[in-house]
Amino acid sequence: MDTILKIENVSKIFPGVVALDNIDFDLKSGEVHVILGENGAGKSTLVKILSGVYSPSSGHIILGNKKFESLTPSISKSEGISIIYQELSIINEISIAENLFIGQLPEKTFIGLPVVDRKTLKSGASNIINEVGLNRSPDEFVRNLSISEKQLVEIARALTLNSKIIIMDEPTSSLSVDETINLFNIIKELKNKGVGIIYISHKLDEIPQIGDRVTVLKDGKYVATKNVADTTIDQMISMMVGRDLDRTSRLPRKLNPVNPTTIFSVQNLSRKDERVKNVSFEVREGEILGFYGLIGSGRSELMEAIFGVVPREGQIILNGMPLHHKDPYDGLKNKLAFITENRRETGFFANFSIMNNIAIVYELFNSKLGGLWGLTNAKQDKKIAEEQAVALKIKCSSVMQNINELSGGNQQKVLVGKWLASNSEVFIFDEPTKGIDVGSKSEIYHIIRQLCDAGKGIIIVSSDLPEILYISDRILVFSDGHITAEFSSDDATEEKIVHAATHKVPDYSYP
Amino acid sequence: MSSLSSFRSFWQKYGTLVILIFLILLIGILSPKYFLTADNLTQVVLQSSITILIAIGEFFAILIAGIDLSVGSVMAFTGLITAKMLVAHQPIWLAILVGGVGVGLVLGLFNGFLVNATGLHPFIITLGTQSIYRGLTLILSDARPVYGLPPAYMSSIGGWLWRIPVPVIIAILYAAIMSWFTSKSKAGRNLYAIGGNKSAAWYNGILVKRHVSIAFAISGISAGLAGVVMIARLGAAEPLAGVGFETYAIASAIIGGTSFFGGVGRIWGVVIGGLVIGVINNGLNILNVPTFYQQIVMGSLIIISVFLDHLVSSKQ
Repeated sequence: MDTILKIENVSKIFPGVVALDNIDFDLKSGEVHVILGENGAGKSTLVKILSGVYSPSSGHIILGNKKFESLTPSISKSEGISIIYQELSIINEISIAENLFIGQLPEKTFIGLPVVDRKTLKSGASNIINEVGLNRSPDEFVRNLSISEKQLVEIARALTLNSKIIIMDEPTSSLSVDETINLFNIIKELKNKGVGIIYISHKLDEIPQIGDRVTVLKDGKYVATKNVADTTIDQMISMMVGRDLDRTSRLPRKLNPVNPTTIFSVQNLSRKDERVKNVSFEVREGEILGFYGLIGSGRSELMEAIFGVVPREGQIILNGMPLHHKDPYDGLKNKLAFITENRRETGFFANFSIMNNIAIVYELFNSKLGGLWGLTNAKQDKKIAEEQAVALKIKCSSVMQNINELSGGNQQKVLVGKWLASNSEVFIFDEPTKGIDVGSKSEIYHIIRQLCDAGKGIIIVSSDLPEILYISDRILVFSDGHITAEFSSDDATEEKIVHAATHKVPDYSYP
Repeated sequence: MSSLSSFRSFWQKYGTLVILIFLILLIGILSPKYFLTADNLTQVVLQSSITILIAIGEFFAILIAGIDLSVGSVMAFTGLITAKMLVAHQPIWLAILVGGVGVGLVLGLFNGFLVNATGLHPFIITLGTQSIYRGLTLILSDARPVYGLPPAYMSSIGGWLWRIPVPVIIAILYAAIMSWFTSKSKAGRNLYAIGGNKSAAWYNGILVKRHVSIAFAISGISAGLAGVVMIARLGAAEPLAGVGFETYAIASAIIGGTSFFGGVGRIWGVVIGGLVIGVINNGLNILNVPTFYQQIVMGSLIIISVFLDHLVSSKQ
């Protein structure tokens, strides 16, 4: 196999931070080279150097037999590099077909004028759509697609470019089991065609199925490159974090009351848009209640309805008192907390410091004048933010630092800190560790367990099976707007849960 | 720190001030006799006071990633009602409080109500109310100016205090109050939050609609105060006063470092932005540039400053 990409001694220095320190990396045609590392390890910086967004501070990049000091987005594209971003970069307001061929739309001549050849466009698009397993018409507008379908469009677009190098940044983070298997099939075909794939993922279980080699980065430094066949997941983890993490165990449960009181219950809850139908469940003292469901099953939609983001029907009872909030403000007042799935869209304020991001919820109800008309208290804000920063081990130079400068894992910790400071009674965590490194994950799990032991009601929503099994004391499975199964943590297995969520037996094996 | 990024952070903080000083020096060198005199500089500040008042209001509309195009019409409307009350021998304080601040508040709240009720972009809503408020002003005034304001009004609001023009004192006091409001109140911080990320604001318990109303109410009050000052300076309420003033207001806010994309900006930046516009207008007059050219300069300045903001904030 030929080496198609070589990165030699590349460093990237930002003011005050060495994001990449003398990195070496290479990619052969027809291989999947996995890059592993905790958040902040330098993976995203490396991707941005290859996409031409950042210029390296030193070192060089060799593509084929050309040597570059730095790339630009157009050089990167013309050299055959394409990138499937974790944060979607497709356009909502045009059709799937147009998204796939944007910038290279087929043309025909109509009364002497060049116009878009709709027929060729449509047939070309439907081939690729079928190839990635997307069950939609090429004329469908992208805004009508679910997140996982959008992800498939993103993947399909990379296929249209006939790239030599495809970089996939967390491509499976919002895909279901079936879609993931399908993606792996596509990757296999790409490999046969000689495409080199750089694969970035936090889902370690995927790596033995899909990877050929794996390179581990830590704190911007190169750790090692290994053949996937010669290493184990546990070895990879210890290379990433520098310690061993026990993945088979369950998060230890301290409080285990014989007759636990019900903290929080939901009865016959529905949404008008019918994405949640007649759901009832309860959250008990001392237990972490896990909700498993695929994307689009309605699990996040249920949580939105509980918190008051959207209107609902049915009853919610907290410690024996019915709650009647109609918006998140009153939801908060009723001591609910909702840590949302999409950090960037519904979680944090990119124009705010860590301090203001943490204090904004706390101060809604905790300043001298209640309600909306109070004043901020900078001293108190700073104290609260610093307490959370210490308790959650948020890596920052000070709480006055802008949240945008933090890594994903630390941003998530800031959001958790915000809600911890809010004195809520019930905490809903929607995908609390999505896109977060292993180290931060285990820290967040322990915070959640502490909250639970302190008598708070805890609901965790996740589409990550090992996570839901690790953390939950009881698991509810959600599918098509309903709860379809309930398991105690002793009875639950991956197979049973996936069966309840999809009515299909899971098959993770690489075809 | 690299020189580029330290320049960037310097420019974000002091860029507007640098522009202001540069303009003062430039025009001062071109016309040392007339421009850099105490009288003329006082005149610049006095002329800027109305711009600064409406620009402070515009700041809040832009802060929440909106815009208020109705400020010029609100200013004419409030000026008219204040003048009518004064001519009808109402006490000065009552005319200012009801005709200026009160009417401005109502018109601003109406903008906010329409934005919230329809869910349309404020650009559309305030483009409509700009015309509606102007029409109402023309109807209520019969398209004629209201003359004969009481001398006590002209000498108080239009007069001097401690050798400073009263409009300037009003503008500075108002800027101080609003600066305090934006940096110290919960509502102020919530407005920044909404401008930064509207849906996150909603998920974090901020009542977005209520705050949109607050932003437009402040914009209305600010334009109302500008109307109160304007009639004192003109000695009459002109129904066609303030046409095109939204351009000055938007330009001041943006030159003053308010991000057109919401969530970023400071009141004192807006004040300096208003002064930049005052200096340009006055400087061009002194240099005998015809008024028509001033509009070209103003328009170019808006585009350049948004472009600079875009460059400074997007290139990481």
